[in-house]
Amino acid sequence: MNRVRLFAWIGVAGALWGLIFAGISSLDYASHLDRGLHDLHCSFIPGAEASPVAEGCRTALNSPYAALFKQELWGGVPISLFGLGCFAFLLGHALSIAYSGSRTTRGAGALYAAFAISPLIVSAIMFSISWFVLGSICKTCAGIYTGSVVLAISALGVLAGSWGNRARGSGPGLVLAAALAFGMLLFVLAPSVVYAALAPDHSKLVTQCGTVKIPKESHGALLALHGTAPKKHALFFEDPLCPTCKSLHERLRAAGVLDRLDVDLALFPLDNQCNWMLEQPLHPGACAVARATLCAKSTGDFLDWAYANQEELAAAAKAGGGSLSQLLSRKWGSELTSCMNARATEQRLNRHLHFAVDNAIAVSTPQVFIENQRLCDEDIDMGLMFALGKLAPELVQ
Amino acid sequence: MSRFRDLLNDVRDGGHQDPAPAVFSAGGRDPRFEEPGGGAPGAPPGLLHGAIVSGAALLVALGLVGSGVKSAGRRLEANASGSAQKVATAQEAEVAYCTPDFKAVLERVLHSCGLGTATERRGCKPADIKTFAAIDDADFNALFTPLKERGGVLLFDEGKDVLDEAGAKLLDERWFARQGARYFFVVARASKTGTPDQNRALSHRRANSVLMHLQQLGEESEEELNQRVGLLWLGNEFAQLSREYCQWPRSREDAVCDDEAINRSAFVSWVDCRL
Repeated sequence: MNRVRLFAWIGVAGALWGLIFAGISSLDYASHLDRGLHDLHCSFIPGAEASPVAEGCRTALNSPYAALFKQELWGGVPISLFGLGCFAFLLGHALSIAYSGSRTTRGAGALYAAFAISPLIVSAIMFSISWFVLGSICKTCAGIYTGSVVLAISALGVLAGSWGNRARGSGPGLVLAAALAFGMLLFVLAPSVVYAALAPDHSKLVTQCGTVKIPKESHGALLALHGTAPKKHALFFEDPLCPTCKSLHERLRAAGVLDRLDVDLALFPLDNQCNWMLEQPLHPGACAVARATLCAKSTGDFLDWAYANQEELAAAAKAGGGSLSQLLSRKWGSELTSCMNARATEQRLNRHLHFAVDNAIAVSTPQVFIENQRLCDEDIDMGLMFALGKLAPELVQ
Repeated sequence: MSRFRDLLNDVRDGGHQDPAPAVFSAGGRDPRFEEPGGGAPGAPPGLLHGAIVSGAALLVALGLVGSGVKSAGRRLEANASGSAQKVATAQEAEVAYCTPDFKAVLERVLHSCGLGTATERRGCKPADIKTFAAIDDADFNALFTPLKERGGVLLFDEGKDVLDEAGAKLLDERWFARQGARYFFVVARASKTGTPDQNRALSHRRANSVLMHLQQLGEESEEELNQRVGLLWLGNEFAQLSREYCQWPRSREDAVCDDEAINRSAFVSWVDCRL
């Protein structure tokens, strides 16, 4: 088989592979537009059964990098849609090169190479974000990366194979190249346009989750997180060992929203050691870490640290035998652990829990109220920036 | 640079001799790949095929995405028009001893003693208990049996209403072990020594001693105490404790405890029931 044709077929396979995974990823994303929590097809095998855990894929899905225009559209436009259009275009382009085979000129090969290598550039950026920022790789994304790598190999192979085949005479080459580039642009944008045009409007829903009954705790027991340039007041119910709280906290921090908020923080550890509302501890050790938060000299610093080291703290709590106290003491000193065990601290944490009772909040964390308006649970992940934009536009400007 | 220029030229318009027909050259198309009505003049032979495949792939992708998005929109509408999902909300504790019978009596006592509604606490005297609780002595005492470990018996000197250090310590321990409870019960008693009127007054003062200690702690406002603390004072005519209650957690653990001593007391406990 001719080398150009061989690499073009490799490109067809790569584009098809990328198309399938971009499609799976896009459909998984779109399924969440109903504000529900759905299983994800997080597998290297196309068509594998969806999984409720899908840790890496869920991390990617809820990350701020998964979509564009998140303030304008609930959940934003998933970037996999751009991939979907791109792979669809490259599928045909690779096929046309395979059809031309050895007659492919250097110019045509170069143009194909330029187009076919572009997914790899985007994939490299997304892979870096996944690996270095999110700390995990989602398998569906890895499928797209693989398709991109295969296409890049195809690009180089076609370019090398067609290098010696130089065209003759004048023709509409440049016009055709421009037309192809424009066509590719249309292909890349088309799925996003369709998605955005058909996406349901969530504007009314984000303000329908109630208000706080009692905004202030009468004994002043709550903690305060002061933003550097506060524009709004918020009330948070958080559990320092809750992964969703960590994720929310980090996303708000990264988006600069925390800087624009004055937050009253009520601790709501999902651990039956202190929280009578649970029969089983959802986050063992959360009561102890909550007491440590109450004792910390700087709540913001401690909370940032606790979220950053959440897995280590949870593991220490699980290990038992004072491991958690030792870990806290090593980092924050024995004063903190002494304070944690004081009756006044237990009493204060109990007030936080009764404050939650007084407000009849849902037994789940995090619970967020912006200017007394509750942020719906459904808006805490994908729709966060959109919901914040509706509830308090000043926070996301 | 010259190689790049060559490449650009190749893309733009060819320019060199091509041994095989050039894909992007008008003059070099292979007649075998001429398609009737397909491909613009000068277009490469496989372009139409590619365009058809790309277009088909895009249409399928758009169809799937559009269908997925619309389907989510329909589910969203259905969810919005359907009943709201029930979620557990934060509430006070409710433990096993909160049986319907227990709660019925407790509620009657609470409402009758001014706790359930107003901010003003009236408190209950023995006659009220008999009337509102509609319960006999033994059953009334049995109500508090599940509170054995949660509560404590604060003992007083004969004829006195002063809460001693040991009593205050036990009261503090019990008070600060609130956990998820909403109501704190104080059931003061007096022994059979003396007249019923004297004992009723003494019992009332003992209940007030407990309340004053809680006020002095300064943890709760007057209004909060009114809403939380239920005071019952029993003379010697109703619900006297038997000697076996000496086994319950009490102050003055080393002191002699008999039928008389155990009734010179105030039983205190949080009640983990929602009413």
